[in-house]
Amino acid sequence: MNLFKAELRRIARRRLTLVFGIIAAAGLLVLAAVFWFTSSKGPTEAELADAQAEADRLNEENYEYEECLDDEAYFETEEYSFIEGEPYYEDMTHDELCADMFGMWTAEDLIYTYTFDFAAESPLILIGVAIIAGLVMMMLASSLIGAEWSSGGMANLLLWHPNRMKVWGAKLGAAAAVCVAAVVVLMVLAFGLLYVIAAARGEVGDLDSGWWNENLEKFARAGVLSVGMTLLGASLAMLGRHTAISGGIIAGYLIVGDMLVRFAAMALEMAYPERLSLYTWVSAWIEGRVELFDWSDVSSEQADVMVITSSEAGLLLGGIVFLFAALATWAFKRRDVA
Amino acid sequence: MPPIIEISGLRKTYSRAFRQPHNALDGLDLEVAAGQVHGFLGPNGSGKTTTLRALLGLIRVDGGTMRIFGEEVPQRLPEVVSRIGAVVESPQFFKHFSGRLTLQLLAESAGVSKARVEEVLEQVGLRDAAKASVKGYSLGMRQRLAVAQALLKQPQLLILDEPANGLDPAGIHHMRELLQWLAHSQGVTVVVSSHLLSEVQQLCDSMTIVSRGRRIVDGNVADIIAGHGESSLSVRFPDAASLPEAAEALVSASSGLEGPKAAVSAAIDRDRLVVKGAPEAAWVTRTLADAGIYLSELRTETKNLESVFLELTGTAPVPGQTVQIGESVVVPQAPSVPVSAGEVTVQVESEGAER
Repeated sequence: MNLFKAELRRIARRRLTLVFGIIAAAGLLVLAAVFWFTSSKGPTEAELADAQAEADRLNEENYEYEECLDDEAYFETEEYSFIEGEPYYEDMTHDELCADMFGMWTAEDLIYTYTFDFAAESPLILIGVAIIAGLVMMMLASSLIGAEWSSGGMANLLLWHPNRMKVWGAKLGAAAAVCVAAVVVLMVLAFGLLYVIAAARGEVGDLDSGWWNENLEKFARAGVLSVGMTLLGASLAMLGRHTAISGGIIAGYLIVGDMLVRFAAMALEMAYPERLSLYTWVSAWIEGRVELFDWSDVSSEQADVMVITSSEAGLLLGGIVFLFAALATWAFKRRDVA
Repeated sequence: MPPIIEISGLRKTYSRAFRQPHNALDGLDLEVAAGQVHGFLGPNGSGKTTTLRALLGLIRVDGGTMRIFGEEVPQRLPEVVSRIGAVVESPQFFKHFSGRLTLQLLAESAGVSKARVEEVLEQVGLRDAAKASVKGYSLGMRQRLAVAQALLKQPQLLILDEPANGLDPAGIHHMRELLQWLAHSQGVTVVVSSHLLSEVQQLCDSMTIVSRGRRIVDGNVADIIAGHGESSLSVRFPDAASLPEAAEALVSASSGLEGPKAAVSAAIDRDRLVVKGAPEAAWVTRTLADAGIYLSELRTETKNLESVFLELTGTAPVPGQTVQIGESVVVPQAPSVPVSAGEVTVQVESEGAER
């Protein structure tokens, strides 16, 4: 327990933790500011009146539209015979027909209003916050292990705690605990900020039990994903004994590897090539299920469907994390400390 | 009292791609008695640091046995590690942490009190620099911090790899006094690996010299030097042309001596004559005066640890040649050289064997 507490303190006292903490807080504030300034409950009476006046002025300059309004028999010519019997135009008044044919400016056309709907939009944002927190923690955990190796701190620590499994367990446990704390704190902060913004400048929507049931599960799965990413980052750094190796592998996969896998799937002309991408499995894990469609059978009008459930995605993603964690554990136990 | 450290037949081989495997340790034996400052010496690449790493569980070995406080390591190392303070190779720390925080984190991880951190900072002379981050520390300051870290647990066994590395003369003096105080007043057993032979000669009570992963000699420092330390006389003359004549006179006169005193040799070394086996300095002056040769300087040269070390390890410099790493003497796999009776010969009681 002492070792675990010391590892927690070591993480807390690292400069990178402070830097990432500041960046995360700043990111949340920027997010909040964007929604604060872009969202509004709707235009004021004065704004509407101004917009309407501007729309009227523009319509007056539209001579074809004006001419159409003044002439009740405007559409009774051969040119507009197609209107007769067309269901779309059937119930339109003459003025509406003119507006449809020649355009008519309305006050709404000239006022851009966006109203933030908390109930509808916040789940995606909160899941994004959790995943970004996971990415940040993955880098922090990589650095935590990698810097210990490159600075010689690992050898020092092993002179005090020769039981390597205890050291590795304490480090992984501390990284996972900090990840959980970071995800929870960031999500709660983001939730609070977005709720306040929605209450002040948007719509909160209906946060009933159905909303909570559906989204709490997703938030929890996003948090688990973040912890998995943290463990993966630490394991890769333990295998490579350097922060850069872990960062390089992760960045390499995210930037190039996934693309190469997709190209390979296309070259092989396999069904459901998306299943080779980790992003698909991550989506399935978060969303609960993902459907992939295969249109290769031209004789069929219906596409073949492959369903990936969150359980299947969890098994695959968890298996990847477990594999690297097991390899790192084995390597740490067996390899000499140079 | 059983030895604090017992190592027997330790082997460590590094496999290398497309090259011959390298035997870093080739059946090394080592015993360290309690309450002593023990020097662990050897040329570069002779296996000193590898031995210390193996002893402390940092590397796996391919054969042999190791015991600390009678407990087999590395298997039982977790049980005895709280009694061991160690610094292996150059001290490295997380550079953005302060000296105090570095020690506090280690202390916290092992349940050592914060007050002890302040004590060791004071003890190694880092009290005023404790707040500064390690990246601003000089090598000597890092060395002090490393020793502070090793002292933190109030160990009964202190293992220090090159503790004087980077220290200024005052620091070396302070470190020597500290280690001797720990060993002789506090009963701490200190093992020091070092290349500073004059320092080892002043600091250590006993020592082990290794070469190519095997022990060459071990025992009391004074006894080892005495056992290999044949003294000689350095004689200079006002005129260097007198050197051959003087050499001849001394060798001729030695034939008149009886018994072992008869083996006098005189060798010309540039502008001086090196005389070995002379019964006494007065015999040299008298013999030369009788031959009508008058000397300008006569000095007794006693072997020090450095010359003994160079002789034993076969790494004495030869003009125009450089001794390469790994070119020290090969020790046949046999019992180590007993240099004298008394403390030098170590009994391995646990195994019932006598060396």
